[in-house]
Amino acid sequence: MRLHRGETIIVDEQYMKLERVLVAVNGKDSDVETVKLACDLAKKFKAKVYVVYVIEVKRSLPLDATIESEIEKAEKALSRAEEIAAEHDYEVETDLVQAREVGPAIVDEAMERDVDLIVMGFGYKKRFGIFNLGRVIPYVLEEAPCRVLLYRENIS
Amino acid sequence: MVAAGATPVVLGIAGIVFIFTALTYAEGTAMFPEAGGSASFARHAFNDLVGFVAGWALMFSYIVTISISAYTIPSYLGLFWEPLKTSPLAHTAVALGIVLLLMIVNVVGIRESSQVNVALAILDIATQVFIIVLALAILFQSGIFWHRVTEYWPSTANLVFGIAIAAIAFTGVETVSQMAEEARRPQVRAPRAYILIIVVVLLIFGGISVSAFSAMTPPELASEWATDPMAGVAHNVSAAIVPDELAAKLFSNPVQFFLASWFLEVVRAALPLLVAILAATILFIATNAGLLGISRLAFSLGRANLVPGVLKRVHPRSKTPYVSIIVFTLVAMLLQVPGFFRPDLFENLGGLYAFGSMLSFALAHLSILALRWRMPRAERPFKLAGNVKFRGVELPLTAVIGLLGTVAIWIVVVIMQEYSRWVGFGWMALGLGMYFLFRWHRQLSPARAVKWSDILKAG
Repeated sequence: MRLHRGETIIVDEQYMKLERVLVAVNGKDSDVETVKLACDLAKKFKAKVYVVYVIEVKRSLPLDATIESEIEKAEKALSRAEEIAAEHDYEVETDLVQAREVGPAIVDEAMERDVDLIVMGFGYKKRFGIFNLGRVIPYVLEEAPCRVLLYRENIS
Repeated sequence: MVAAGATPVVLGIAGIVFIFTALTYAEGTAMFPEAGGSASFARHAFNDLVGFVAGWALMFSYIVTISISAYTIPSYLGLFWEPLKTSPLAHTAVALGIVLLLMIVNVVGIRESSQVNVALAILDIATQVFIIVLALAILFQSGIFWHRVTEYWPSTANLVFGIAIAAIAFTGVETVSQMAEEARRPQVRAPRAYILIIVVVLLIFGGISVSAFSAMTPPELASEWATDPMAGVAHNVSAAIVPDELAAKLFSNPVQFFLASWFLEVVRAALPLLVAILAATILFIATNAGLLGISRLAFSLGRANLVPGVLKRVHPRSKTPYVSIIVFTLVAMLLQVPGFFRPDLFENLGGLYAFGSMLSFALAHLSILALRWRMPRAERPFKLAGNVKFRGVELPLTAVIGLLGTVAIWIVVVIMQEYSRWVGFGWMALGLGMYFLFRWHRQLSPARAVKWSDILKAG
């Protein structure tokens, strides 16, 4: 099915019933569209939207180590998510998590909050000429206990 | 080398001290599931000064763990290129290179796979169990074993020093405490981890020491195989396997005999190689674990204002505590440098480890007793049993005996090992000098105590 600009998808409400949505942001440009997408989907069902930023802490540091630069980046990303949600007349709950690896942390957050959908965005990346999803997305796709919606940025 | 014929006995005695220490850590870690180990216990039980002493002694034992683990790797790789085992120049150069490589890897922040670590650990334990079973089946004769124990029984002084050196077999007690904060339900899982360590380590080390004595005499073990004893055991077990003879004893059926004989042939050829590769890999991981431990500990101590803040500085790009990694790795390399000139470096490093670890373990025991005394009604998710009542307060016997044992071993090391005495006290003096200067500069009392309300606030 080809979509044209401005065209919207009619969602089968029975299938896509949502109560809680988790959006994983990472401070990149794709955050804008993922938060917008999550809010649009959640609005229909008055679902709660959680926006989470995971700081990956290297093993040479304690897990609760305070890394000022990373916290600053995270707070900026989460504030931006709140602004985008406000522009869409929606409220989101933001959270900052520190973990050894991002993928398992997102899955853990999804399980703890018992979400129905995880929304994630990513850029178009190639490694050695081959399109690459990275480490986090394949992990979440494999281990998530719920549906996962991916948003890929435009190639340009 | 030191304990000679009494090696199984000293490992057993050190094992008892280890059990008591692990139990103390189980109670402490369940109460304070945070990175810091004995330094954390001491800080909460007494004050920042005692916390610093425990932490600085612990840092010393981590540094020595890095040096000694890396120093033994070339011995095992000597199977593939002999100079690594026989030439002090090649041996020490490679050991230094390994530490330098790990320093770079950890400053850059290359991710390690915990799944690979776990898989290697399981494979290593399985191989050791296999060797123990083979050695007991093929080589063990009780008469010869007891003869080797009694014939090569050491002097009392060496026996006691051997117990101190044997403590290095039980590294990992602190590491579990450092890792506890990352576990789900650390109050439950940390004590379980300690109990598992006790069982596995005691069984394996008991079995290995009996296997070693079945495979060779203590002088052989102490000379040719001093720095790679497992390779020695594997070599002798392998040499004792006569595939056709063994297969004939087990199976009369021709097909079973052929398969068994073939299998034993493969084992005979592969066992020394497998042990060499596995031991080198596990020691490489242990060296890295020491490096990770010290950088985490330095960060925790920095956060508690026990060491200068520069040691908790994080690199803006790699997000690693590059200053503490570089500083302490260089100290670990410095400890290895005498290996170019001194063939007894391994023994000296063992003494250094005992100096740092026994001091920090003793403070851990003392802290648990102090916490029982000062805060008898504090929540203890894992409370040690076997308590004696003293002025209405329950004190765990294991901590009392553990304290006496670790202090006794520490005193033995200080008296008997000149190298450890000077380097160990030098390290502590350097640390205390730095501590007082740093605290004075920050206008903090050296012996400020952590308030119980702060602990409650921190949750």
